[in-house]
Amino acid sequence: MHLPIVSLITFTPLVGALVVAVLPSRYPDAIRRTALAFALLAWVMSLGLLAAYAFGPAGFQFGETADWIPTFGIQYNVGVDGLSVLMLVLTTTLSWISILASFGPIKDRVKGYMISFLVLEVGMIGVFVALDLFLFYIYWEIVLVPMYLIIGIWGGSNRIYATMKFVLYTLVGSLLMLVAILATAFAFQSSHGGSWTGAFDFIQLQRYAAGGGFADNLQILAFLALFLAFAIKVPMFPFHTWLPDAHTEAPTAGSVILAGVLLKLGAYGLIRFAVPLYPYAAHTFAWPIIGLSVVAIVYGAIVSIVQPDLKRLVAYSSVSHMGFVTLGIFVFSATAYQGAVLQMINHGLITGGLFLLVGVVYERTHDRTIAKMGGLASKMPIWATVFGFFILASAGLPGLSGFVGEFLVFVGSFGVAPIISVSSIIVMVLAATYLLWMFQRVAFGTVTDFLTGLGGHLTDMTRVEAVTLVPLAFMIVVLGLFPSLVLDFLRTPAQAFLAAAAAVHG
Amino acid sequence: MTWSDLGTIAPIVAAVLVAGAILIVDMAMPGRRDAILVTSLGGLVVVGITILVQAGRTGTAFGGAYSLDNLSVFLDILFVIIAALTILFGGDYLEPRGLPLAEFAAVLMFAVTGGMLVSASTDLLLLFVALELIVLPGYMLAAFARNDGYSTEGAIKYFLLGSFSSAILLFGLAYVWGMTGTTRVDGVAAALTSQLAHGTIAPGLAMGLAFMTTGVAFKMAAVPFHYWTPDAYQGSPTPVTGYLSVGPKIGAFAIALRLFVGALGPLKADWLPIVILLAAATMTLGNLVAITQDNVKRMLAYSSIAHTGYILVGLAAYAGGQQSGLSAILFYGAAYTFMNMGAFAVVTALQRRPGVTSQITTFAGLGRRDPWLGALMTLFLLSLTGIPPLAGFWAKAYVILAAIQAGGWLTALAVLAMLNAAAAAFYYLRVVVYMYMREPADDNVPSRPSRLFRVGLAIAGVGTLIFGLFPAIVTAATNAASVFHT
Repeated sequence: MHLPIVSLITFTPLVGALVVAVLPSRYPDAIRRTALAFALLAWVMSLGLLAAYAFGPAGFQFGETADWIPTFGIQYNVGVDGLSVLMLVLTTTLSWISILASFGPIKDRVKGYMISFLVLEVGMIGVFVALDLFLFYIYWEIVLVPMYLIIGIWGGSNRIYATMKFVLYTLVGSLLMLVAILATAFAFQSSHGGSWTGAFDFIQLQRYAAGGGFADNLQILAFLALFLAFAIKVPMFPFHTWLPDAHTEAPTAGSVILAGVLLKLGAYGLIRFAVPLYPYAAHTFAWPIIGLSVVAIVYGAIVSIVQPDLKRLVAYSSVSHMGFVTLGIFVFSATAYQGAVLQMINHGLITGGLFLLVGVVYERTHDRTIAKMGGLASKMPIWATVFGFFILASAGLPGLSGFVGEFLVFVGSFGVAPIISVSSIIVMVLAATYLLWMFQRVAFGTVTDFLTGLGGHLTDMTRVEAVTLVPLAFMIVVLGLFPSLVLDFLRTPAQAFLAAAAAVHG
Repeated sequence: MTWSDLGTIAPIVAAVLVAGAILIVDMAMPGRRDAILVTSLGGLVVVGITILVQAGRTGTAFGGAYSLDNLSVFLDILFVIIAALTILFGGDYLEPRGLPLAEFAAVLMFAVTGGMLVSASTDLLLLFVALELIVLPGYMLAAFARNDGYSTEGAIKYFLLGSFSSAILLFGLAYVWGMTGTTRVDGVAAALTSQLAHGTIAPGLAMGLAFMTTGVAFKMAAVPFHYWTPDAYQGSPTPVTGYLSVGPKIGAFAIALRLFVGALGPLKADWLPIVILLAAATMTLGNLVAITQDNVKRMLAYSSIAHTGYILVGLAAYAGGQQSGLSAILFYGAAYTFMNMGAFAVVTALQRRPGVTSQITTFAGLGRRDPWLGALMTLFLLSLTGIPPLAGFWAKAYVILAAIQAGGWLTALAVLAMLNAAAAAFYYLRVVVYMYMREPADDNVPSRPSRLFRVGLAIAGVGTLIFGLFPAIVTAATNAASVFHT
């Protein structure tokens, strides 16, 4: 029996949460460090998994299976392919960075915060490794509760509205997804002599779907339910309205995880489940979804220009950037697929970094209004330099990773839909507009009275804050120069995805 | 009556003896609360053992009026758990208000006897008598705080509407008896089957069916027969509300199983549309009204109406041809017992000090003032919402899976149930918002509940978790219990 490495990674943060739970709350520093230690442990193990991953064979690796609810054939069934292993590492990386970034800002109820964060990490990892639809659903819902608490307890002034909106939007989608999952499993069961064996097993379901097993109308309805759940999470236009509120009100680390990982859960769900299980429906709805993606790209960019609040601007830019991901998924080309996944990672790194940097300013000013800032470059030169770097990465500067992802989506979609492809790439100009204009207003010009009034509070970045940003910046440069580091992982998953998507009829 | 009859009904005999013993102990040692607690809880353990000894056996007593089967064993165990939790939670509420524990425990034991009798009744008349044995003590318990105007008002409403609905039910039973010539459940089913084989169902049966449906719908608080529920629940002493929200409800569903599945099973195509409509109306209205409530007890009352709707989906799935619907009903009942009694227990704990209201503001800052109580309430509320991996999630999953398997309109019902569950998240999580995201009105730390109370909370919490993590343990029992009609 091999080492159950995937389960070890999944449940390390849970053990951490339990350990933190028994620590007395009068030692907040011990709690912070314990949480960080477990998150780092999970990170190190996930790097080990990344190194041990074999490029050659198709399918899933490091699989583990155990019966859970035999009556319905529901199993504890996990494993990784190139896509999930990348997402896994993104999750564990952003998790420890977020926990470290919370050391300073979170002073109240540290214990509950760290428990929430570690449980959140369990749910996120679980979503990326689950190969049983039911297990996937459970992890999907587990993510919801800690994020609800993180925004609602440690968030900004309008946090309760934001967190309820976040929960209700997500729940509507996910509960309909549950109906779709059960209907899919039941369709499998009734066509397999009434046996539930394998009815929730993704690999068997996908094989059955590839053989044209699922009826067209079941595919349409189930796909729409899954699509709704995932589109809300991504979020795609017009299901995005929870995002600016949730991002703005969440504490810094909450925004980082929200943008860095939670939005990826939706895109991952589309790639892993919605398209391969219901290829007929995916093709039927491909054009409308491509249309919505382009709307999201353009709309997100235009709305970003006029945002008065730093976090809101970054949040709306997420809508735009994630539009490239859904576009890349639904043009069904290998290049666009790789671009989409790379864009998911880039967005996690870059937007995560941007939220951290906004958080640094917020810690000192307790304000995020762009109009109140100005001349920060003179007060916080290191911060301004790093901020500029991430701004350029987000705007898609060649040589940095953001460029590669969007470029691949552009190239991949050009063959399918040249007009859409070109029009979406023009939006990169808009991205440069809103990002650089914001940077100019915040970092340059004269120091505003508001900032002068803060006096000595306006210090430059601390060492801890720098530590949270260095790994992200490093990865952005490395992936910008050597994107094949990521793309190699995606070669077999891309082929599997395209083969599954092509199985429209028999 | 033979000796073997007596052996078959041993759990019921034991329950009556425990009720009697409580009254005798109270007379012999007046004012000794500990003696009452030992007698009632010890007695419940004995009753539980008597039931478990019978587990797996089947048999009938009194010429077929009473059946011992897996269903009766499952429901009996559930009623014993409900009674034990109610007594554990009741002490802390009654004592500061000077209300007598002995009467409370004894009346509750009689109600539980009724519940156990309902779950084993296979005769229309016995069903009715057993049902009255559940609800009469229920009226008394609802009025238990007799100096409290709200308690009395709620109890009067409960009593009037309850008696009314009992009469309607009895009327329906009389029709069925008249049209089939028998009061035995299996006899009714056989008569209906043969009538169906001849192609005609007497119009009187349709009348009987309509009256019976109305009567049972009253008892389970299904919309539009739910009007008594909010006042009765809000007015009753909080531990009683906790009991009322599960005990009589499960009793009503036990009747539905014996009556609709057992006796009227052959007519299920006829009552399927009625149940679908009842389920849809019940969960939707219950949830919509619950959203607007500012009183947690009243909110939980409306939410319990909504849960009736979800359970009815299971009954509809059975009528749609899915045996698994019955198993889902039983799972739901068991899961609901733990999570809902747990939620009411937390309200009870906050109301230990007389005068504390059950307004939602009472919960402000609870997470800070009493982390354990806050965490447990969150657990129960998340489970009621249906968040995995907790008991309430599986309850909903099994119900809608059965509905999806039945197909047709039931798939639409499953979708409606899930949309309702999303709406329910709003009002359940609103309490969490108050507990964790708002500052307390005062710094009063709620007085620490007694040890027994904490044992009860632990049982409810562990039950909610275990059902969620290892549902297979429970489904084995519910699957066995769902096969009861021949």
